[in-house]
Amino acid sequence: MSSRLRHASWGKIGLVAIVVLYIVWSLAPVAIAFLFSFNAGYSRSTWQGFSMQWWTGSKSVFNLPIYTDAIRHSLLLAVLAVIITVPLGVSLSIFLSRWRGITARPASFLATVPLVVPELVLALALFFLVTKVNLPVVTLGTSGQVVGQVTFILPLVIVITIGRLSSIPTGYEEAAQDLGASPPQSFRLVLVPLLQPAILASAIVAFAVSIDDFVITQYMSSTSSTQSVPMLIYTATRGGATPALNAMATIMAVTTIVIAAVGFALYRLLARREQITDVPAPAPALAVSREGAL
Amino acid sequence: MAGGHIQITDLSRSYGDVLAVNHIDLEMVPGEFFSMLGPSGCGKTTTLRMIAGFEDPDSGQILLDGVDIRHTPPHKRPVNTVFQAYMIFPHLDVYENVAFGLRRQRVGKDELRRRVGAALELVQLEALAKRKPSQLSGGQQQRVALARALVLEPAVLLLDEPLGALDAKLRHQLQDELKTLQQTVGITFVYVTHDQEEALTMSDRIAVMSHGAVEQIGTPREVYDEPTTEFVADFLGISNLLSAQAVSGVPGECLLRVGEFLLTARGGETAARGQVKCVVRPERVNLEPAGATGHNRVPGTVERLVYLGSATRAIVRLDTGQTLQSLIPSDGQPVAFEEGIAVQLELPADALRVVKGGGGAAAPQAEHVLGDQLEGAADA
Repeated sequence: MSSRLRHASWGKIGLVAIVVLYIVWSLAPVAIAFLFSFNAGYSRSTWQGFSMQWWTGSKSVFNLPIYTDAIRHSLLLAVLAVIITVPLGVSLSIFLSRWRGITARPASFLATVPLVVPELVLALALFFLVTKVNLPVVTLGTSGQVVGQVTFILPLVIVITIGRLSSIPTGYEEAAQDLGASPPQSFRLVLVPLLQPAILASAIVAFAVSIDDFVITQYMSSTSSTQSVPMLIYTATRGGATPALNAMATIMAVTTIVIAAVGFALYRLLARREQITDVPAPAPALAVSREGAL
Repeated sequence: MAGGHIQITDLSRSYGDVLAVNHIDLEMVPGEFFSMLGPSGCGKTTTLRMIAGFEDPDSGQILLDGVDIRHTPPHKRPVNTVFQAYMIFPHLDVYENVAFGLRRQRVGKDELRRRVGAALELVQLEALAKRKPSQLSGGQQQRVALARALVLEPAVLLLDEPLGALDAKLRHQLQDELKTLQQTVGITFVYVTHDQEEALTMSDRIAVMSHGAVEQIGTPREVYDEPTTEFVADFLGISNLLSAQAVSGVPGECLLRVGEFLLTARGGETAARGQVKCVVRPERVNLEPAGATGHNRVPGTVERLVYLGSATRAIVRLDTGQTLQSLIPSDGQPVAFEEGIAVQLELPADALRVVKGGGGAAAPQAEHVLGDQLEGAADA
């Protein structure tokens, strides 16, 4: 018994070590980048003393139009991605999960195809579509970038929302209709509130993925005004960038982390408030299919 | 509240190859407590869901107060449902759950407050109006579900095993409350359950269902005391079935051959002849010491005695091989029988009912010449 205990504790120590190493490994570069944004010199690799010059003043990140424009553009793309993908993805998920038609399965599958297609392939395909086919509205530039990101992010929203939907018994919608709500009312008054955690999670994911996205955003860009932060970082690291770039990267990282943290806290709050799992017996719909099966 | 008259004609519904509801006819009269009783898979829930509008019938008609509601969507039917798992909206508090239906009807502010208050009072939940469903016990959630449906003053209230998720003690308490509530509001209740005791204690009438068909409709006393089929007899209480050969009898009586003995039955299908099933309630089987004489007596051996508190159940193996149960009421003394001793069973002719459905599963246990049997009967 004691040998088993010793065994277990060795395993535990090993696991803890791996976790700690992983955290250090993934956070160290961020910490180093953050640190060098306070470098007194121009180097992004040699420490030359502490300075706030890249955060305030004429050389700072906030005083370089190319940097501030990129930040503004990245935030614009992220906000647009959230505004478009979340309502669209949630509606599609409700339709796909509550729709009992014969095409429901193939449709659910097709909706998640962009998830498994390599992003580069998707980007090339979209690039071809936009440049060779004269689409209305969608052109290279902001509109193309938004459409590209939406295509890429929508399946993520659908996967998150359908997961939550499958844990909500159809009995709630039936109860709403039983009490006089029309089907659209039962969606709006019952299903959407119950989906709140999934909606929030989708918004966080959409925002984070959009902010991070490089391939599609790059392919669908046009002029320098449509340069996003990842694009700027990618090009700037090759040229002579100052530690202001580190400051910019830090701003983006902190923004994403703060939004994710706030969202996660809200999610916990919403999920705890509702507790669908508290239902004591199977849903009537399940009971019926069971009856039918017997 | 007048109305609440349901007439179901030739109603059918199948899922794939399974005929869940097989051409049934039912009628629920205004203000009655009507139960659909049967095992899972008998079609009771499907029938209820067709009345509510959640399932489309394949054929047949559902009339509510003379109006065909088959093509009316659920949210426009004047019926409300108490669901098996309650389906209280988790994001709304008790008050808003109860107000949900009234808000859809756009009733005025004052009327809304008054009616929600009255409904909460009816189910004794006024104090919990601001609670969230996750803060309620199962019994309280059940009351919210009731209040939420009753506040709309439906013509018919449909209840889908509403007590199924509760523990036994609470279930008994709520059975009484439900019955009282139904009498107070006077609404037609259509109640689905697989619990025979629940159906017997609350219902005005019961439809016993099996395999998508209605086996028998009647008052609790009728279905319990006068089952017309083997299934009903079996499902309502302990199956005390005796395989017998119906040999002869004057009208209103039937002479049954059980092994070497002859019994007179005065209940059920006394005109039947040949292989039949005969049902007798355990509480009407009298246990006597071996050697007791008289009509309608068969010998056997006490196989097992089970003390139930208010009574003792004796499982007796007849000399023919079949077993019968006898319920001996407790009188404060230990029962006068022990396991393994020989006894005489008295089966009163009035308590023996010949029922349909006695298909040749059980062959006669022993073959004797007719003379032996007559002799046995004369002995008895």
